[in-house]
Amino acid sequence: MTGVLLSPGEVVDEFRAERSPFSWLLEREVLRYLRIWRYSLVGPVLSTILFVVVFGTVLARHVDGLGRFSYGQFIVPGLLVQAVVNVGYFNGTTSLYEARRDRYLHCVLASPLRWGEILGALVLASMLRGILVAAAVLAVAVPLTDLDVARPGYLALVAPAVLVVAAQFGIIAGAVASSLDHVYSIESLVLLPLGFLGGIFYPVNQLASGWQLVSELNPFFWLVQAGRTGFLGSADVPGWAALLVTWAFAAVLSAWSAVIFVRGRRLKS
Amino acid sequence: MRDHDGVPTALEVRGLRKSYGDGFTALDDLDLSIPAGSLFGLLGPNGAGKTTLIGSVCNLVRPDAGSIQVFGHAADTREARALVGLAEQDINVDRFLSVRQVLVYHAGYFGVGRREAVRRADEALELLGLTAKAKVTAPELSGGMQRRLVLARALVNRPRLLILDEPTAGVDVDLRAEIWRLVRTLNDAGTTILLTTHYLEEAEALCDEIALIRAGQIVDRGTAVALRAQYAVGSIADLYQRALAPVAS
Repeated sequence: MTGVLLSPGEVVDEFRAERSPFSWLLEREVLRYLRIWRYSLVGPVLSTILFVVVFGTVLARHVDGLGRFSYGQFIVPGLLVQAVVNVGYFNGTTSLYEARRDRYLHCVLASPLRWGEILGALVLASMLRGILVAAAVLAVAVPLTDLDVARPGYLALVAPAVLVVAAQFGIIAGAVASSLDHVYSIESLVLLPLGFLGGIFYPVNQLASGWQLVSELNPFFWLVQAGRTGFLGSADVPGWAALLVTWAFAAVLSAWSAVIFVRGRRLKS
Repeated sequence: MRDHDGVPTALEVRGLRKSYGDGFTALDDLDLSIPAGSLFGLLGPNGAGKTTLIGSVCNLVRPDAGSIQVFGHAADTREARALVGLAEQDINVDRFLSVRQVLVYHAGYFGVGRREAVRRADEALELLGLTAKAKVTAPELSGGMQRRLVLARALVNRPRLLILDEPTAGVDVDLRAEIWRLVRTLNDAGTTILLTTHYLEEAEALCDEIALIRAGQIVDRGTAVALRAQYAVGSIADLYQRALAPVAS
């Protein structure tokens, strides 16, 4: 037997990396969903586009009262937010929950990767997946609905927050879920209702005042309003409020996941 | 802590405690010192604390109290983690990656550059007889092949302290002999090895020192010869029965 692996490396006073372990983990995370692209990318893009086609073009003829916007233009920003949040959720749960369940998370935890690097790589990979899905949806939805970006600067400010919310939500769910049933229950009992009641398909100001209040308690509502403000220029709430609330959600979820990773309660024994 | 010749002790554990949520105490004020360059065996029944100790060293378990140093570095530092290779008892491999990618990315997590990571992965594949399976994913491998992959993965960061948690559990005779040869070769080249096993003849054949662990504490330690003499028994199997019987039974 010969080879460099048969002899140990040197003891060093300070860890030095030829290439950042963070970039390796980020690459692994991206590679993971590119390998399962039919499920991870094509599926969410196709289902969102079908919503745009069915609701935004076919049923749009029967919907009015949205002022200068067609129904298709009205729903696309919300559908985009929903697609990004769904992708973030399933990215976090698939990546982190399965790494916990199959215990290959141990390889990462036992390596020189710091908690911030692990979390950062998971978040960034999820955000990149969200951008890929959003770009693909827009590539089809924009020509179908003649959608324009009314406030590109605003959209540039709010889009990272939406992507962070989606990524961190998935990571937190991936960390706290104790079974696959748990993962899918959160999706069908929390994510789906919040999405549908978040004002994607209707303007909330058409609801009775009590229901308006209920809508405003829904985090999804604020993400949808932020997206709609960026694309259409206005929404049911002031743009600055939607921007502020969306970034506040991003900050709260980021703090929550940081606590999970620092304490390691759900990640280590 | 340093050995007599000034080399830092490979593993220094002081006052390590760990209780789980159900009240079970896995480690109870455990002290352990493993000299650099040794092939050290840790013997004990199920639930004695072996895997919790290993998990604590490798950042997989959150100890309640105590300190752990690896070659003079606190175990929770990157410097310490870079020095440790771990092959866990259970097969735990990334099911999304090919066998080769598992090794390349694992080297990467230790800061190795791509070219070197690929070179090390190829060497590890050859060393463990996995070259023909390099492109398949881990779940497609047989149990024995998965065990080889776990061992290969533990080597790609060129650890100074290699922890093998029951590396030969459930493997056939040929692979066991192969693992023994590999362990001896690594140790001869200077790698400190911490080995847990339920095969007592394995500990006796391989290890230059053995510690007996029971109920989260080191009960005794020494060479196989010294322990046999101390307990007036003919084999490590008899010693195991004598020293660990109260809990093992």
